[in-house]
Amino acid sequence: MFGTLETGYGYWSPIIWVITIIVIGIIIYIIWWLGEPTYKKGTEQTKPFLAGMPELSKEAVTVRADNVYWGFKEALKHYYRPMINSHSGVINDYICWFVVVLAIVFIIIWGML
Amino acid sequence: MKITKSFERALWVFHVNTGSCNGCDIEIIDALTPRHDVERFGIRLVGTPRHADVLLITGPVTKQMEEPLKRIYAQTPDPKAVIVVGSCGITGGVFYESYNLVGPVNEVLPKDAYIVYVPGCPPRPEAIIHGVMKAWMVLESLEGKKL
Repeated sequence: MFGTLETGYGYWSPIIWVITIIVIGIIIYIIWWLGEPTYKKGTEQTKPFLAGMPELSKEAVTVRADNVYWGFKEALKHYYRPMINSHSGVINDYICWFVVVLAIVFIIIWGML
Repeated sequence: MKITKSFERALWVFHVNTGSCNGCDIEIIDALTPRHDVERFGIRLVGTPRHADVLLITGPVTKQMEEPLKRIYAQTPDPKAVIVVGSCGITGGVFYESYNLVGPVNEVLPKDAYIVYVPGCPPRPEAIIHGVMKAWMVLESLEGKKL
């Protein structure tokens, strides 16, 4: 199970990998150990330095999928603007629209008969 | 005097311009040029306050720079010292009582900040180097107190 596997082109030894990982871990620990220990956790000292500016939220500094459609929305903004304004989110408004449109339809049908 | 641990390393300085006319900044650059060459003493400018022992501040503090200066001071690891280079950062200088100033540096930083003043308009590079050495002595005393 832990023996060396000869492939014909090289070999595979899990023992060498384990030793390599341990050595890398020791190097990482030494680098961490040599680091500055006086930083105060939970203060500005452990936050990123952005030229003195506050760190913004990830949502505020990343490009959203919505931004891909900017040109589409900009070209059709004259269509979208009244549509968005008419969608108030109030159910009474929607019922009112429904009644008005239904009345218009009935008037048209009544005129055709 | 017992030589403390910080003598074993270089003194790293972070430069902050809080509204200077750049006169003092040019003198700071002069201190780095081959004529004075402070890097031979281990004094060098760094690009982030997180690596700095000393903040080198030039100019009076404008309203735009008040919050960044407070944040930069807070981000500098302890123990730390502040050097105010030039008359503007000490008293406001020629910009005294200007409408867009918060005030001199000591009115913006915490009251317990250790500040070394280098007066002049602008001060000579030798005076700036002297101020850095004073700040180094402040750090040595703080190191001894284990703050």
